[in-house]
Amino acid sequence: MDLVDLIAEKRFLGQEFLTWLWWKSEERGGTVDVPEVGDVTLVFEKHMLLEFGEGESSEKIICSGLQAELQEARTGLQMGKKLEQARIRLDYNNYEFSFTLAAALMEFRSVRLPKTETTESDKSENPEEVEGMILERIFLFEELIRMVNKLFLMFLKVRVGDEWHDELPKIRVWINKAAVGR
Amino acid sequence: MGLLKGSASFVRFTVDGELPENPLDYIAERIALFSFKDIDDTYDEYSIGWVSILNMFDSEFDFASHIAGDYITLTLRVDERKVSPAILNKIVQKEEERIKKERQIPKLSRTMKVEIKERIKVELMRKAIPVPSTYELAWNLTESTLLFFSTNQKAHAVLEDFFKESFGLFIRQQIPYTVAEHLLDEESQSLLSKMTPEVLV
Repeated sequence: MDLVDLIAEKRFLGQEFLTWLWWKSEERGGTVDVPEVGDVTLVFEKHMLLEFGEGESSEKIICSGLQAELQEARTGLQMGKKLEQARIRLDYNNYEFSFTLAAALMEFRSVRLPKTETTESDKSENPEEVEGMILERIFLFEELIRMVNKLFLMFLKVRVGDEWHDELPKIRVWINKAAVGR
Repeated sequence: MGLLKGSASFVRFTVDGELPENPLDYIAERIALFSFKDIDDTYDEYSIGWVSILNMFDSEFDFASHIAGDYITLTLRVDERKVSPAILNKIVQKEEERIKKERQIPKLSRTMKVEIKERIKVELMRKAIPVPSTYELAWNLTESTLLFFSTNQKAHAVLEDFFKESFGLFIRQQIPYTVAEHLLDEESQSLLSKMTPEVLV
């Protein structure tokens, strides 16, 4: 199957992952236990985009609000919409990333990197220092991808395995409870 | 904004294909061959090529290397002369009116109209200053992956073609499904291929 068909046919995979991740982060109050890493703070904030349907008949809703309960987004989930974009704060090992994940194509948008001495230093003219700064930033971009892929693998293992039958009812309860009112 | 500073938006690609022996020499050679050529002083409509990530006017890489550790860092620069349709229409109409008056004819033939439009387009194109667009990338040679600092689909298509032309290598955007194939073992991959959307409510 070529990439264009894959993108259209498997669009749901990234969106289900992002929706699952929202539930996962709320299951333990904003903390997710990631294999090999330990507890990671993962908070959905500010901005969300939900999608329903495909192509011309697709509907989108955008919800935003600082630290809001995102009530509209929760109601959207109950209406069968899936999460397509979310602003996420990820905090672990003294790293704090903030980024928007666009789920269908796995795009990382408006990524804010953790502040480190090298990346924060003033513009240097020294080529070695410039190279160091570039390498540090690339390392951090790739670190973010590694962490998102670890979370994605957690989801995939559940999703293709028997565990999905245990988690799906919990997700359904969460979506229904969230929409009924908090 | 992007690779060097501030907040960044990016997608990741997988690089397919083998590099020849002495990959760094080969890459340096190909970058030089496909470096950006300025068209400000020409009448060319379009130019595409590689420049330094630190300076979009440096296509010789005099001031900074394209190598950082195990990465190749480049900026893809595209300059394009554009004429807005509104301006083109305005000048074409003005010229049509002028010719009608000059020749004292009430109407211009279809052929004449086409001729005028073509001529005006060429004239305006020559006067237009090329509009530059730049996109940064970091190519991880160890993992054969590439970070491209734009989420613009049109830019992705341009990169795919130009990267292949430059280095003879194909790149494929990593989407959730292809990442999943890469992360999972064989048994789970076959389950993945059969997976259908779930109703979450």
